[in-house]
Amino acid sequence: MRQTAGTLNRIWLTILGILALAAGVALLLQSSGQMHVLANTAPSGDRVVTGDLHAVFAASWVVVIMLVVGVIMGVLGLLWVIAQIPRKNTAGAYRLHDDGGEGFTVCEPSVLATAVENQVNTLPGVVTSSALLRGTAKAADLTLKVTVNDRTDVQDLIRRFETSTLPDLSSALEAPLQRSRVQIDISGRTQSTGTVVHSTGTVVQ
Amino acid sequence: MNPQGAHKLPFDRPGGRDVGGSDGSGGDVEMGSRGHTVVADKVIEKIAGQVAGDASSAGGSSGGFFGIGAHADLSARPKASVELTGNIATLSVEVGMLYPVPLRQATEALRQRIRAKVTELTGVEVRQVDIKVSWLTTGAETNGRRRLL
Repeated sequence: MRQTAGTLNRIWLTILGILALAAGVALLLQSSGQMHVLANTAPSGDRVVTGDLHAVFAASWVVVIMLVVGVIMGVLGLLWVIAQIPRKNTAGAYRLHDDGGEGFTVCEPSVLATAVENQVNTLPGVVTSSALLRGTAKAADLTLKVTVNDRTDVQDLIRRFETSTLPDLSSALEAPLQRSRVQIDISGRTQSTGTVVHSTGTVVQ
Repeated sequence: MNPQGAHKLPFDRPGGRDVGGSDGSGGDVEMGSRGHTVVADKVIEKIAGQVAGDASSAGGSSGGFFGIGAHADLSARPKASVELTGNIATLSVEVGMLYPVPLRQATEALRQRIRAKVTELTGVEVRQVDIKVSWLTTGAETNGRRRLL
């Protein structure tokens, strides 16, 4: 149900991997003496820095630059760590009006999610369910977690999702779903909502 | 000056014109002598709520204590609020609906209905109707127990 920073991780690891690979190749070329031939750099045996490094780092602007670069790298690292916290990333309120000139129509995604849960909970064998909507009203993204008991016909349940649950949500939003995911867990508990049957008795008024 | 939260309606005779002539001054004098009709905001809100509740697909919440523990009830009157600017009203209605009705179509029909009825019953021009869908019911929700009749 929660989303992690998979894409962000892949992007940053790719960038860092390319940088590490380039540095490694440069070091290999330098140590083997090939860098001197290819890029006309100093030979591997020569000292590159001959003077006193303390004089270079004594200038105040060098210290400031180093400090700023260090802080930026630290903040980026911290943001990357914070981005690892799994998030629900729920959608904002769905706007169901066209131009809004005659008024706005809004519906919270949690309202629709609750309706989906209530509908799913009446399906045979479903113990409990949890729905989460992301995306927009015109391209909603449904994630459904369903816990069923161990005697449930899972294939039949999936067929019911495909024939009633998902089309009903799409019908309510009047737009096709962009994506839908269903996670099914098995539980030893029994269904608590009972079985819905049509009454044939006399209604007393 | 109208009391706060109230709206003074212009007095029209059945033909749609002011009583006492159409030049303004004579009509105003006669209108003043016959009194004013003041419609409170609450009245417009209740009319809007009732009109919304009369629609078969919309309902409100009932029960609970200070709003805590209230449950969805299609037969209850939805909550409505009004912002009046002169003779122009902007309404906000909080409704519940049956699931899975097409929400855009159902709310648009409800908006037109509220606008027409409130204008007809109060004489206030309803310019905008904001609708918030606060709950959806499948109509077959059960807690697994039999209901006492």
